Amino acid sequence: MAAYLLRRLAYALLVGLGITAITFFISQVIPIDPAAAALGENAREEQIREFRERYGLDKPILVQYGLYLQRLLRLDLGRSLRTGRPVAEDLKEFFPATLELALAAFLVALALGLPAGIWAALRQNRPPDLLVRFLALLLGSTPVFFLAILLLDLLHRRLGLLPGPGRLDPFLIPPPVVTGITTLDALLAGDWAAFKDALAHLVLPAFVLGSASAALLARMVRAAMLEVLFQDYIRTAWAKGLPERLVVFRHALKNAALPVLTLLGGLLGGLLSGAVLTETIFSWPGLGRYVTQSATSLDFPAVMGVTLLVGLVYSLLNLLVDLLYALLDPRIRYA
Amino acid sequence: MDRGKDAWILTFKLRQGSRFSSGREVTAKDVVYTFERALALKGPGSFLLTEIAQLKPGAVKALDAYTVEMRIPKTASPQSFLSILTFTIGGIVDSEEVQKQAKGGDYGKDFLSQNSAGSGPYRLVRWDRGSQVILEANPYARVKPKIPRVILRYIQEPAVLRTALESGEVDITEGLTPEALKALEGNPRFKVVRAETLRLQYLGMNMKPGSPFANPKVREAVRWAVNQDELIRDLLRGSAIKIQTFIPRGLLGYNPVTPYKYDPGRARRLLAEAGYPQGLEFELLASTGICGGGVPCADVAAKLQADMAKAGLRARIRTIANAELLNTYRAQNHQMVLAGWSPDFPDPDGNATPWADYEARSLAWRNSYRDEVAAKLARQAALEPDPEKRKALYKVLTEKVLREGPYVVLYQPAQPIGLSAKVEGFIKNPMMSSPLWLVSKQP
Repeated sequence: MAAYLLRRLAYALLVGLGITAITFFISQVIPIDPAAAALGENAREEQIREFRERYGLDKPILVQYGLYLQRLLRLDLGRSLRTGRPVAEDLKEFFPATLELALAAFLVALALGLPAGIWAALRQNRPPDLLVRFLALLLGSTPVFFLAILLLDLLHRRLGLLPGPGRLDPFLIPPPVVTGITTLDALLAGDWAAFKDALAHLVLPAFVLGSASAALLARMVRAAMLEVLFQDYIRTAWAKGLPERLVVFRHALKNAALPVLTLLGGLLGGLLSGAVLTETIFSWPGLGRYVTQSATSLDFPAVMGVTLLVGLVYSLLNLLVDLLYALLDPRIRYA
Repeated sequence: MDRGKDAWILTFKLRQGSRFSSGREVTAKDVVYTFERALALKGPGSFLLTEIAQLKPGAVKALDAYTVEMRIPKTASPQSFLSILTFTIGGIVDSEEVQKQAKGGDYGKDFLSQNSAGSGPYRLVRWDRGSQVILEANPYARVKPKIPRVILRYIQEPAVLRTALESGEVDITEGLTPEALKALEGNPRFKVVRAETLRLQYLGMNMKPGSPFANPKVREAVRWAVNQDELIRDLLRGSAIKIQTFIPRGLLGYNPVTPYKYDPGRARRLLAEAGYPQGLEFELLASTGICGGGVPCADVAAKLQADMAKAGLRARIRTIANAELLNTYRAQNHQMVLAGWSPDFPDPDGNATPWADYEARSLAWRNSYRDEVAAKLARQAALEPDPEKRKALYKVLTEKVLREGPYVVLYQPAQPIGLSAKVEGFIKNPMMSSPLWLVSKQP
């Protein structure tokens, strides 16, 4: 098992290396000069030359890549061309916001999608099933920006039930930054007012971001459950007179869990790589917005940093999913 | 200001008793340190000191605790230098505080990216990147702000920005669309400001040999084929000033003449005289982003395309990312480009040199506009200390470039700002900064 884990972690590093190589290659194929992009319309030729020298953009591509890897070994992701700060510092600031939003959205997806899917499967082709399928179709196909602006207008501006964009009421004193996750920081500081406010700020973006995943999850759970529900062993379980709770959760759901688990890993990975639209509309200072702005200004050190981080997150999630397989299905063993 | 033998000598007397947010007094030592630091760091903006003002290390000296002497070469413009000193690069930093925080020869750069050490009315207390900046009154400042705490929030999406203003969550907004501004105008709960900028939106025509725009008659035709009035009225909803010369309103040398109006027939005749009786087809580059006044550049380009088409000027619009546009423009690979320009410092030379002097390798160079007379006029005007004489030089230069140059100036955009009616005293100066300490708010 330990050998397996080590091997998988080594793979993850290889994936990271592959990602840097591809991103680096792309940065060279794009016919735009990052220096010109970073310095704007007024920049003079001398400024551009100096900028290229300072960031090593004037060196041959392989030398640049070598230098990048060298720095990477020292866990130095380089300096962002746009913010002028170390990329690692930027990530430390933007990733926690994405982590907070992604986990909240993931919880929303689980809380809505899982029960809805199970319920729909148990009442196949009856009104509850039709309702779930209709809602899943509706939520899954509503564009994020539309849903976001609709809900903001309704729940924030008109009804005043929920706060608007941002992570915290600007008139509250923000809790000291420990993890960068505002809700958690507020808890750590024992600041209830800030915790409640941060949580309220999280509701809308988490719902908007999580709703599409919830829709997908509900359909997946429904399909997986239906496949299991007609198996002989379920019939046996019913025949034995087991209560519905045990049949559904112990016998059916556990066996339907494998494909769902795969989907969940992918969903969480997607959520963790940042959600540009949701973050933009809710002024959420997360990874998605950071990487979009970096990409449009050709800030390759920043883009590489984010890609690397997201690649590692995916690798780790995949590993986690594989380990959970073994837990759920005793026939699966890793060596 | 003194005319020295081989340098301009500027002597400044510091006000006694001004204090940094640390409580230390502002002295000549801090001024000297500020400029040495700026020259050593070579950050963005330092070219204003090194290239425009040609300031050398050691050129800023403390004569006593409250007197500073600065020397710049005779080839630099003292007027421009004075303007530059009002810019961010001229902000005096607390030398002791910054030196205390400096690490590894960074002159406190890392420290100042998260803190402030100045003597202004506010100090920076918190900066959450991509989210908000919190300013609080500097307890030692001479100017006491009316509002003790200001929060600058970053809201990118214009629709959300409008919601935030309407729900009372924010009091002042920048970045509303012209439509949103129009809607706020009828509402007594809000005020609307169209803040003048020094920005110009213009068309650049590449005059390199072989290009159709190398022919002055073709450039002249384009000038008669642009419908400025409709552009400003319909697309910008009035959030712009009509201007045709290259020094924006608000700077010395602004020339209000607007000899060109929309006349497609005349443009067509000029095209025929230039050897294009069937009209001319060419590529117009536009950014995928937002142009001055809050309107998408693609919309501005489409309007120009429609108006020019009636004159036989058939533009093929290519919209590309701004970074790519700048790249193409710099490489002189454009035919016509829709672009914007703001002077680096509030002085006419911030426009005259880049627009008229080919050697400056800026706009004139990018459009292959090589005119010795124009370049000489720009250099002469930059160094002329007498404002009246300087103005006369710029009058000649702006009119020359208007008729012969590679540009069609489209408009000088205003920045749309929406405010709560409770806010008083908000000013946005044309260099895009706001004296927030003058702002007050009714409960």
